[in-house]
Amino acid sequence: MRALQYVSMLFVIIPLTALIVCSLIKRSRQNAAFYLLSAFAAAQVGLALYGLMLFNSLNISEYSFGFHITQAVADVFTLKPASLVMLLCIGLVSFTSLLVAYKTMPANKKLSYLRLLSALIIGMNGIVLVNDLFTMYLFIEIIGISSFVLISTTKTEEGLESAFIYLVMSSLASIMLLTGLAFIFMRTGSLKFEYLIAINNTSAEVSQNALTYLSYILVISGLLIKTGAVPFHSWLPDAHQSADTSVSVLLSGIVIKAAGVYCLMRVTDIFGNLYAIRLSLAILGVITIAVGAMFALHQNHFKRILAYSSVSQMGYMLLGISAGGILGFIGTMLHIFNHAVFKSTLFTNAAALHEEVHTLDIDKLGGLQKQMPITATTSLIAFLSTAGIPPLSGFWSKLLIIIALWKANFIGFAAAALVLSIFTAAYFLRLQMNVFWGQTPEHLQSIKEVKGTIRFAEIMLTIITIAVGLGFPFILLFLEASGII
Amino acid sequence: MEVIITICLGFMLVFAIVAVMNKSLLKSAIALALVSIFLGVILYLLTAKWAAVFEVSVCSGLVTVISISAISLTHEEKEQLQKKYMDKRRMAMLPYLLILCGFLLVFIVLTAKIQLPYDQLAEPSTETLSEALWDNRQADVWGQIIILLTGAFAVVTLFKEA
Repeated sequence: MRALQYVSMLFVIIPLTALIVCSLIKRSRQNAAFYLLSAFAAAQVGLALYGLMLFNSLNISEYSFGFHITQAVADVFTLKPASLVMLLCIGLVSFTSLLVAYKTMPANKKLSYLRLLSALIIGMNGIVLVNDLFTMYLFIEIIGISSFVLISTTKTEEGLESAFIYLVMSSLASIMLLTGLAFIFMRTGSLKFEYLIAINNTSAEVSQNALTYLSYILVISGLLIKTGAVPFHSWLPDAHQSADTSVSVLLSGIVIKAAGVYCLMRVTDIFGNLYAIRLSLAILGVITIAVGAMFALHQNHFKRILAYSSVSQMGYMLLGISAGGILGFIGTMLHIFNHAVFKSTLFTNAAALHEEVHTLDIDKLGGLQKQMPITATTSLIAFLSTAGIPPLSGFWSKLLIIIALWKANFIGFAAAALVLSIFTAAYFLRLQMNVFWGQTPEHLQSIKEVKGTIRFAEIMLTIITIAVGLGFPFILLFLEASGII
Repeated sequence: MEVIITICLGFMLVFAIVAVMNKSLLKSAIALALVSIFLGVILYLLTAKWAAVFEVSVCSGLVTVISISAISLTHEEKEQLQKKYMDKRRMAMLPYLLILCGFLLVFIVLTAKIQLPYDQLAEPSTETLSEALWDNRQADVWGQIIILLTGAFAVVTLFKEA
């Protein structure tokens, strides 16, 4: 128990230390801060894995903690296995982003990037750990502020414009969230998750009420804007395209999931099994998958295709949430992890292309398989995983989500999810053919494979994709043995 | 008490509209500060005393100081700014209309004697400030500190020429 106490506190202390160090360090020593933050991100991955092991050996389902400097302090944070999986993703994606930024970020922007990244990590760790709706909103705002500035760090015109669009959309989300929270507070007098779940299950007066329904709609719409689900997705492709690639890795890899999907999962926990909400989330999910994939088919910018692909994959997570039940929950968590890994791989490939070829317009690229074999292979594996081809990791999470939908009697949606994954294969096949396969044009003959940290990140993430895919039957067996499914 | 609250709400509406529609940034900032002061009064009357203190000191004090100092740093000439907004003339009647609507709303509420839901009003809290902020809402305090830090980094990143 003592070990768990230290591990859980470290998830708050580590990013705070990083933030303090990064804000005090001089520009001339920024590389030291770079190494330190990378070590911290890697440590978070290790700690999350260790925490999962501890949870398994102690046989508990959650652990609450706070910083008890005075005696009467309430436990303000709660650690669960699901939050450990999120913390693992946060550490992994931040580490990847740091590896990419080491090459792509201009030297005079590195320190700002490090400071904002540590604030972003605090925000995401906070969201994952809190047990109160209002605190969750506060940490969503931290994520928001740091991502606006991260998108516009390079100060290009497109960067500033897309950051502004994101700012406007986010303010809309904040207004909706706050109003919704105020309504919930009016009805119940508390915003603690535990209390809300309990009162929703026991008191029909609270749970079946026009004001409560209105607050659900407001909160869910606010979170859907943060997720980038389809009617609210307009900010996402611009932001991903114009930001530095290391920032795109963060945005697509983890930010939209921590501030969007994960919060949505926690909020739907409160509402219980309201059929109307689950049905509307399922419909939105299918529309999101379809529209994201359609748009991705018609783009010519490498990162824009990846951004629309992220929109499309968010749809699968919405479907997982709508299915509900333990299977849907595990499927969604696993898809969050898998998407973090393979989308980071693809954005790292984009960084490699940008470093070597200096363009991401897929019409100007072609036949790079021979020149950049590692980038081409890792990209192929990541896209096969995204499309859900067995035995790669993406296949298992999509399978779980579809089985969960089937069990929840959403048979039509399960079929739609299955059919629409063909589109995923279609737009990635187009990407792969235009960039890596076929004849190499004259001006691309002299291109060399990318070196250093970016190559390391590509290989590391691909190994994780394959390893999780091959090892997943064992994870399933373990879950079955411990009685979870 | 309802009368004061309703009148304060009306003033808030009026000054909010002034803040959005005024051509001068300085006057907008002052109008925004006035909105916060009236909100502070309402919070005080609704027994949320600490919230009222923070609303008045931070939102109408600190934020106004920051925005006015930011406005004083802008270089664009006043006439140029005004010229820029000249073509917005077709909206000229809108603020007056909105202000009129605000007064009308206050009038209707006062004459119709709409009661505030007093049975839902919270009991005055017995918590001390340290109990409320540190013991029960510790995570929020951390969050606020980090938001301020992030805001400072944001300003440095965006406005400092490296």
